[in-house]
Amino acid sequence: MFTTLNWRALRWATCWTMLLLLAVVVGSRSLQNFDGALVAYLFGTLFATFGIVYRYAVWLQRPATQLYWRRGWQLLFSRRFARYARAVATRAAVDVGGQAFIFRRSRARGIAHVLLAWGCLSAFAITLPLTFGWIHFTLQAGSTTLYEAHVFGFRVLTFPHGGLLAFNLFHALNWSSLMVIAGAAYFIRRRVTDAGQIATQAFEMDWLPLVLLVLISVTGLGLTWDYEFMQGRAHAFMGITHAITVILLLVWLPFGKFFHVFQRPAQLGVALYQLEGAAGPQAVCPHTGEPFTSAMHVADVKQVATEIGLDFTLASGGSHLDLSPQGKRAALARAHLAARTRSGRLFG
Amino acid sequence: MSRLPVAAEQLIAEFGPHLNYPPREGFPGRDQPDAVVPTHCCFCGMQCGIKLLVKDNRVVGFDPWEEFPFNEGRLCPKGVQRYLQNNHPDRLLHPLARVEGRGFAPASWDDALDRVVGEIRRIQSAHGRDAFAMLSGVSLTNEKSYLVGKFARLALKTRNLDYNGRLCMVSAGAGNKKAFGLDRASNTYADLERADVVMICGTNVSETFPTLTHWIWRARDAGAKLIVVDPRMTPIARTADLHLPVRPGRDSALYGAILRELIVHDWLDHDFIAHHTSGFDAAAAAVESFSLPWAEEVTGVPAAQIAQAAEWWGRAATSFLLHARGIEHHTKGVDNVVSCINLVLATGRIGKPYCGYGTITGQGNGQGGREHGHKCDQLPGNRDIENPQHRAYIAGVWGIPEPELPGKGLTAYEILEAIHRGEIRGLVSICFNPLVSLPNSEMVREALEKLEFYVAIDFFLNETARHADIVLPGSLHEEEEGTVTTAEGRVTRVRAAVTPPGEARTDTAILLDLARRLGAGDKFAFATSEDIFNELRVASRGGTADYYGITYEKIERQMGVFWPCPDLDHPGTPRLWEDRKWPTNDGKAHFNAVPFRGSGEVPDPEFPIILTTGRVVSQYLSGTQTRRIGKLVDQYPEPLLEIHPVLAARLGIRDRELVRVVTRRGSAEFPAQVVTTIREDTVFVPYHWPGRKSINRLTSGHLDPVSKIPEFKVSTCRLEPTGRTAPSARETAAHASA
Amino acid sequence: MQTTTFKTDEEFFVDPQRCIGCHACEMACAECETNGQLPMISVDYVSRADSPQTSVQVCMHCEDPVCARVCPADAIQKDEFGIVHSATTARCIACANCVIACPFGVPKKFEPTKLMMKCNMCYDRTSAGRKPMCATVCPSGALFYGTRAQLAAQRPASVAVNVFRFGRETVRTKVNVMMPAGATELIVD
Repeated sequence: MFTTLNWRALRWATCWTMLLLLAVVVGSRSLQNFDGALVAYLFGTLFATFGIVYRYAVWLQRPATQLYWRRGWQLLFSRRFARYARAVATRAAVDVGGQAFIFRRSRARGIAHVLLAWGCLSAFAITLPLTFGWIHFTLQAGSTTLYEAHVFGFRVLTFPHGGLLAFNLFHALNWSSLMVIAGAAYFIRRRVTDAGQIATQAFEMDWLPLVLLVLISVTGLGLTWDYEFMQGRAHAFMGITHAITVILLLVWLPFGKFFHVFQRPAQLGVALYQLEGAAGPQAVCPHTGEPFTSAMHVADVKQVATEIGLDFTLASGGSHLDLSPQGKRAALARAHLAARTRSGRLFG
Repeated sequence: MSRLPVAAEQLIAEFGPHLNYPPREGFPGRDQPDAVVPTHCCFCGMQCGIKLLVKDNRVVGFDPWEEFPFNEGRLCPKGVQRYLQNNHPDRLLHPLARVEGRGFAPASWDDALDRVVGEIRRIQSAHGRDAFAMLSGVSLTNEKSYLVGKFARLALKTRNLDYNGRLCMVSAGAGNKKAFGLDRASNTYADLERADVVMICGTNVSETFPTLTHWIWRARDAGAKLIVVDPRMTPIARTADLHLPVRPGRDSALYGAILRELIVHDWLDHDFIAHHTSGFDAAAAAVESFSLPWAEEVTGVPAAQIAQAAEWWGRAATSFLLHARGIEHHTKGVDNVVSCINLVLATGRIGKPYCGYGTITGQGNGQGGREHGHKCDQLPGNRDIENPQHRAYIAGVWGIPEPELPGKGLTAYEILEAIHRGEIRGLVSICFNPLVSLPNSEMVREALEKLEFYVAIDFFLNETARHADIVLPGSLHEEEEGTVTTAEGRVTRVRAAVTPPGEARTDTAILLDLARRLGAGDKFAFATSEDIFNELRVASRGGTADYYGITYEKIERQMGVFWPCPDLDHPGTPRLWEDRKWPTNDGKAHFNAVPFRGSGEVPDPEFPIILTTGRVVSQYLSGTQTRRIGKLVDQYPEPLLEIHPVLAARLGIRDRELVRVVTRRGSAEFPAQVVTTIREDTVFVPYHWPGRKSINRLTSGHLDPVSKIPEFKVSTCRLEPTGRTAPSARETAAHASA
Repeated sequence: MQTTTFKTDEEFFVDPQRCIGCHACEMACAECETNGQLPMISVDYVSRADSPQTSVQVCMHCEDPVCARVCPADAIQKDEFGIVHSATTARCIACANCVIACPFGVPKKFEPTKLMMKCNMCYDRTSAGRKPMCATVCPSGALFYGTRAQLAAQRPASVAVNVFRFGRETVRTKVNVMMPAGATELIVD
C-alpha cells in the first residue's frame, strides 16, 4: 500500500492536511490561543491526518471497497432517503456507538471494548481541540475563583474553581485513561490466556496497540499524580514520556490496528446495502433451489471479480458464482466424482 | 405398581433428555487441564483410544490419542462429543424414590438400599428366588460384567439374569461357538491391510463403526476388492466394488449360493477342508439346490452379481469377512453367521496373515461383556452354566457348593415376557433401556407396569427407569477404573478420569453395598476394580476366554492384550487358529449345514412391505447418552422412513410427508425420506428414539431359536400416507418423545 | 510472541470419495481453540435423494486467495506458511463478499457478531507442529494431514492435485485434492 506513490491519494491527503492546518490557524485566532507547549502534538496530528487520509484514499480505490462506498452513498441519497437515513442513524448508534456486535461475541469483550474505544475517543475529543487551540481556559478577569472556557476564542462557560464541574473538566482525561486501562487489561488477559488468541496473535497488530494505550494512559495519569502528590518534581519526565507515547501513537495511527476505527463506519454502508438487497430480488442457487443472498450482491461481486481479473464463466455460459456456497461445494464434489468415475474406480 | 408416577412429559421436563451443548467458547480450563487421561470412547465395540481433559473433577474436552494403535486419534462424531455426557444437567446426583403423583424425590442411600433389599426379600420369599430378575448391559467393563454375574447368582441368588448383548452379539457368539468352539473375531483389523477381498455383510460400517473404515480403506489402497452386502446403499457401499442389495431375511440364501458357486467352480481349499474341518459334505448338500437363478429370485440380488462375488471370493489368495447386526438380528441369525463362516472355511482362509473373519461387536464391551457371565447361560471365561465341570470350577473360585449355583435362566426378551405373564415380579436393571431397545415395546411397557418392584441403576433417568420404584445413581464410563475388550478381542484399560458427582456412586460400590446388605458381603470383599479383575482372571482361567495372563500392568505396557492369554509371560493372541487347533469336540473347525427357511414374518397382502431397522452415525443404541448431547441430536434429529421413489409413487407418498407405518404390533408415524438408496420392497427406520418415535413399538418379537436374538431386521408392515407434511424436527423434538 | 513450529513438510490432502459423511470433522473443528465452538468445515449431502455421497470442504488456502481479493476491508490475510486466516475481527464489516466469491464455498458469515470466519487449518495446532483437528479425527482418510511421501506410499493409485479450473478461472491452492493417477487438475465446469 505504501510501496508505490499513489498520486490521487497524495492529493487528497495534502488537501485534508492543509485544511486542518487552516482550521487550526483560524480556530485559534491566528495562533493567538495556541499553546506553544503542544506544538509537537500538533505536528503528530498533522502527520496522522496526512497518513490516514492517504491510506483511506488508497483503500477506497480497491474495486470492492469502491463498490460499497459508491453504493452506500447512492442508496443513502436515493428516494428512500428518509428510511435509510434513519437506518444509518440507528446502526451508527447501535453498532458504532454501542458496539452491539462485540457484545454478541461476548459480554465481557463488549464491555472491555466499549471502555477502550470510548476512553480513546473521549480523550481525543478533549485533547485535539486543546492542541489546536480551539479551546482554552482562563481565569475570569479580576477573579481568583472563577474560570472561563473559550471555544474558538469565544467565551462559552464560566465556572467556579473547586466545583464539581471544574473537578470533572480538569480530570476528564484521567477518567478516559482509567477506562482505557480497564479495557486494555481485559484484552491483555485474554491474549495471554485464550489459546486461540495465543495461536494467531502478532506483536505489531495485537500487542503493540494495547501496550501503547496503556503507556499513554499511565503516563497521562502520572502527570496528575505528579502535581497532586509530588509537587511537580517529576513533571519533566512525565511530560516527555507522555508526549513520546502519544506522538508514537499518532504517527502509527494510519498503519496499524487503529486504522480500523476509520474503516468501521463502512459497516453502515453495508447495512444499507443489505437492506436494499433484502427488499429486491434474491439470488436462488441452482443447486439447492434456495435463495442465499440478493441478486444485486451476486451481480456486484461478479463485477468486482471481473475488475480484479477473475473470470468464473463456465462453458455453459453461466457463472460458477451463481451457485451458493453449498452449491459450489457440491459442484466440486460432483466434479471429483466424475473424474473418479472416468478413471474407472471410485476409490483410489 | 410401576406405571409412571406422573405423566412422561413431566418426567422429561425434570430429568430430560435435555440437550447438552458446550459453552460458546468451550468449557473454561480445557486449555489448561488438571489432567489429560488416556482412556477409551464409551460407545461402540471399536473402543477407540481418546484422551479426556479434566478440570476441577469435570471432563471439559477431549484430545485425540494418536498413539493408540487401533484408531491413532481417529474418532467418529459420537467419540468427539462423548465428553459432553459428563458435566450434564440431567445427571442423577441422589438416589430417587418414586412418589405417586409427584414423580421422584431424593432419598438417602440407606433408605433406598434398605427398601431395595426389603423388596427383594419380600418378593423372593413369597414367589421364589427366580421371581426377582436382573437385566444388565455391555457398556459395563469386564470387571462390572463379572461382578453383575456373581452378584445375581450369589447375592440375588436368581437364575434370571440376562443382558442387552442379547440384542446384539448372541447370534454371532452362538455361530462362532458352533463353528470354532470359541467366540472371538479371529484376527485384528490390521490383517485387513493385505486382504485381496474384503466382504462386509450386513454392517453399515460407515455409520456404526466409522473408525473401522480406515482399515477397510487400507485394504483397498493395497488393491483389495470390497464387497458390501446390505439392502441399503450405505456410504461404504456407495464406492464399493460390488454392492449386493440383499432382500432382508434372505441372507443365508445368498451365502449358500456363493458356497455352491465355490463348489461348482472348485474354488476350494481341499487340503484345509480335509485336515482341519468337519461337516463339509452336509453343508455342501444343503446348498446343492441354491442355483444362481433361484438365489436371484429369493435374495433379489442379480445372479451376475452373486457370481461375481463368488468369483472374487473364490479366486482370492487372502480375504477378510466381517459381519454385524444386519445378518444377526434374525430368527435365522445363527444360520446366517455359520453360512458366512462356511465361505471362510471352504477357502481355508483363516489362521493366516491377512486372512480373517469376525463379527463386528456393536456395544462398547460387547466382546468382554459376553464372556464373563452376565448372560443367562454362561459363567466367567465363556463357560457353560449347564456344564458340570464348568459349574464346579466356578463354584470353587467363588467358594460355594456347586448346587448353590443357579442354573440357566431366561433370556432378556423372555424375562420381559415372564414379567408380563406375572411369573417374574421384581427387577433390578443396570445399563439397559429395554423400553427403547427391545422389540415389541408396547409389550415391554405393559410388563414394566406389572412389576411389583423395580430398581434401576443408571446415571441418567432413561425411559425404562422412569418406571422404577427406586433409582440408584451409578457411574459413567469415565468414573471407574476397569478393562474393556474390543471387537478385535483386545483387552484395554478404561480410566477413571473423575469421581462420580454429588451423591452418585460407582456402579461397583452400589453392587458391593447391595451384596453386603443381602448377606453375601464375604463373597464381595473387593477393594478396587483391579481386585475384581484379578478374581476374573482366575475365574476365566482354563475357559475359552482365558484372561489369566492379562494384568493391568501388561495392558498398559502393550496398549492392550489379545485374549486368550493363559499365563503371565504369554504376550496374548492377536491372530487365532494359526495352530489349527479348535476347541471343538473333534478339534476341527465345523461347517454347518444351512437349509433355507423363511423369516418370522413374510410379506402378505395385509402387510406387504418389509420393514428393517438400524442405526445412524450420530446416535448410539437406545440413546440414553447420545440423545442428551446437543450436536449429535442436531445431526440427525428424528427418525425418518427411508423409502424408494418407486414404492413412494405407488403409494402416493411425498418426501417429508408423515407416513403411518402399521405392523401387527401397532402403528407409528414417521416423515418419509424418499431415496433411491434402498430396495423397492423395503423401508428402513432407525431405532434410537423413544415413545411415539420408537420404531421398536412395531418390530416383531420373533426370536432366533438358538441365540434368542430378536428379529429386528425383518418385520412386515403396510404404509398409510397421512397427507400431512411432517412438522420440523425441532417441533417434533423426537429425542425427548413421550 | 508468535513462537511457531509449523511443520512445512506436512500438507493437507482431501479425498471427497473417501468421505462417509459422519461429521466427526465438523464436531472436532468446533473444539478448535481459534473458532470457539463454531465449525468451519462443511459436510453436506450432494443429493441425498440419489446417493449418500457427501461433500467435505476445508479451506483450500489459495495461493492468491479470492476471498482476500474481494474483501473491501482488507480483513483477510495470508501468512508466511500460506495459511489464509479468518477475517481480522477489528476490520471485518460482514459484507459477505468473500462468502459469495470463494469458488470453494468456504467462508461463513455470522451476522449477529458481524464476522466472517473460516478454516485456518487449526492454526492453534498446526503452528505448534500438530495436525489439524479434522484430519486427526477423520475416520476415513477423506481428510489427511502428513507428508507427501507418507501419502504416496499409502495411496499408490492417486495423485495429489492443487490446480482447480472453475470455468475460465484457474485457482491454485495450498491444500491438495486426491485425484486418479495422471490427473493434473480438477475441472469444475
